[in-house]
Amino acid sequence: MDTSDKDKFELEKSNDNPINYHSSGGMSSDWRFNSTSIPNSSLGLVPTDNLMSVCRGDLVGAASCSSSSVIDSFGPAMWEHPTNSQNLVFCDINAQNIASSSNTVGIGKGFPFSSRNGIDRTLEMGWNPPNSMLKGGIFLPNAPGMLPQSLSQFPADSAFIERAARFSCFNGGDFGDMVNPFGVPESMGLFSRGGGMMQGPGEVFVGSGMKSVSGGQTQKNVMNAGEASKDVSMSVDHMATEGSPLKNDTKRESLARSRDESKKGAGGSGNDSDEAEFSGGSGQDEPSMLEGNCGELSAKSLGSKKRKRSGQDAELDQAKGTPQSAKGSPETQQKGDQKPASTTSKASGKQGKQGSQGSDQPKDDYIHVRARRGQATNSHSLAERVRREKISERMKFLQDLVPGCSKVTGKAVMLDEIINYVQSLQRQVEFLSMKLATVNPRLDFNIEGLLAKDILHSRAVPPSSLAFSSEMPMAYPALHQSQPGLIPTAFPGMESHSDILRRTINSQLTPMTAGFKEPAQQLPNVWDDELHNVVQMSYGK
Amino acid sequence: MTTKHVIATAHTRSIKNRFARRFLRSLLKMKRSNRLGTGFQSNEEIRKRNTQRIKTAADRSMARVVGPRKIWSRALLFKLRNRARIQVGLRKRCLVSKKKKVLGKEKKVQVISREPNRADNLRELVPGGDSMDICSLLEETAHYIKCLATQVKVMQSIADLYST
Repeated sequence: MDTSDKDKFELEKSNDNPINYHSSGGMSSDWRFNSTSIPNSSLGLVPTDNLMSVCRGDLVGAASCSSSSVIDSFGPAMWEHPTNSQNLVFCDINAQNIASSSNTVGIGKGFPFSSRNGIDRTLEMGWNPPNSMLKGGIFLPNAPGMLPQSLSQFPADSAFIERAARFSCFNGGDFGDMVNPFGVPESMGLFSRGGGMMQGPGEVFVGSGMKSVSGGQTQKNVMNAGEASKDVSMSVDHMATEGSPLKNDTKRESLARSRDESKKGAGGSGNDSDEAEFSGGSGQDEPSMLEGNCGELSAKSLGSKKRKRSGQDAELDQAKGTPQSAKGSPETQQKGDQKPASTTSKASGKQGKQGSQGSDQPKDDYIHVRARRGQATNSHSLAERVRREKISERMKFLQDLVPGCSKVTGKAVMLDEIINYVQSLQRQVEFLSMKLATVNPRLDFNIEGLLAKDILHSRAVPPSSLAFSSEMPMAYPALHQSQPGLIPTAFPGMESHSDILRRTINSQLTPMTAGFKEPAQQLPNVWDDELHNVVQMSYGK
Repeated sequence: MTTKHVIATAHTRSIKNRFARRFLRSLLKMKRSNRLGTGFQSNEEIRKRNTQRIKTAADRSMARVVGPRKIWSRALLFKLRNRARIQVGLRKRCLVSKKKKVLGKEKKVQVISREPNRADNLRELVPGGDSMDICSLLEETAHYIKCLATQVKVMQSIADLYST
């Protein structure tokens, strides 16, 4: 776990260095990767280091699996060396393999982990080829490839691979969609999509946002489980969060704690034995995954404290990842630090945090709303916040519509304004209809004129007045042609508004409804004297 | 939101034109039927009736132009259709619906303690607002206001035309 965390941190650091991660996923992606635990870290590393990081992830995963066993043997030394948990894991693996690859990343960051990082990096370097291979395929394949390369030292590469596979299986079974077996596969796929490069994955993560995070988280969880030394992972997380000096300090403390814990675990035969740890880890991963997915972290309750720790770590990582991804602000980092500290405490508080984190994550997945610091994070308050935002958005929109509403502040007053405006509009409609009713009887023929005007209006609007003028003459001849008989009768009527004219108009109107255009054009022509003026009036308006 | 807005503004012209055409057509129909069927009522009655009819025609054409996309236009059309139906049976329905409305309002007042007056006032003004939550109510209100404004504009221009 620690190693993975460290890796993550390293990755983050490396991300800073490579810029790819930062730029693409920014800190959040790094954090996510970190939080994802070793697998995650490996993933994160992969993007940052490109193939290398991936290899690391695989290696880490394998290492975590193997590391559990290795840790037992190496545990003490590893823990000591790897200031971070990562170092432990990586150290185990790295020591066996090269261990320097990971360190390089950490070194780049300039953290204490640098040595470890360098080791990791070296490992990664060694792994890179496999990583690239892995990118093309899945982590599992990578893991095998990795194992041969870097893990040749490891006694049970195949065993590690199997473990990794199990982990992946577990993850996949648990998480199904989001988590994927390793979470790495997804990330891998993403990476491969992104061009198989680290940057691509980073971008993918960023773009995917929650998904990637969840995958990262799941990965992290897996990593934690595999690592068995949850404390270490916690410390690693802290380290990652440490981006700032303060965080570094806290991380160091947490690392020390984690180291102590890990040491204890190592003393206790690597906790539950590597395999046991791994299995536990898988179980933990599952719970953590579930938590991430369902937010039921606490419910799952890790069977062993270690499991809990790992789950917590994972949760912490996730929480860190989310806040970091969301804001990437120091506050989130602080929170992450605090969370790790609490996780180190192992108190129920951790569980609560985990639960809260779990809830946050699902929310993030579904509703892209993140609680800011100090804001309530339960689903009800989140939903309420979303609703309020919606309402205020609509209010703003209405503010633009309702005149005199822009200066008003306060929803109540605005609602009043809106109501008044709607009422006034409705009253206006009523008044206008009354006006029309009074005007109507007097000017019967006007309706037709209006119709014509309306048609003209609709036509004239797009074109220009010129178009109108051009239409007039055109329509005129057309009218003559089409209704020669009517014209003579209509013309005299036009001037006098005689009944004849009305009749002709009426007769024309029926066709007009069917084919508006022709009648419309014709009418203005026919009405030339009066309607023409009217039309122009309307047109001008 | 911005794209939506742009589309809406680009759409208003067509909405305006379509509304004007529809409204004028219905006015014409009304005129014809008026001329044919009216006769022995006092001017006041005719005017009142015509006012109501013109208003209904304006509302209907507006709702028709908007179509069934919006809740308020659907509610308005439904209301107008029902009103246009059996005028005798309509009163009974009205009574029933009023009772229902009263009941619903009481419930709402009980449930929603926040500024029930204002929101409910708005609900009364916007057709179909009874069944909307505050979010959709505001949305519908925005659209309704837009349409009302175009309606007023068109009617105003027509009235001006007439009066001149």
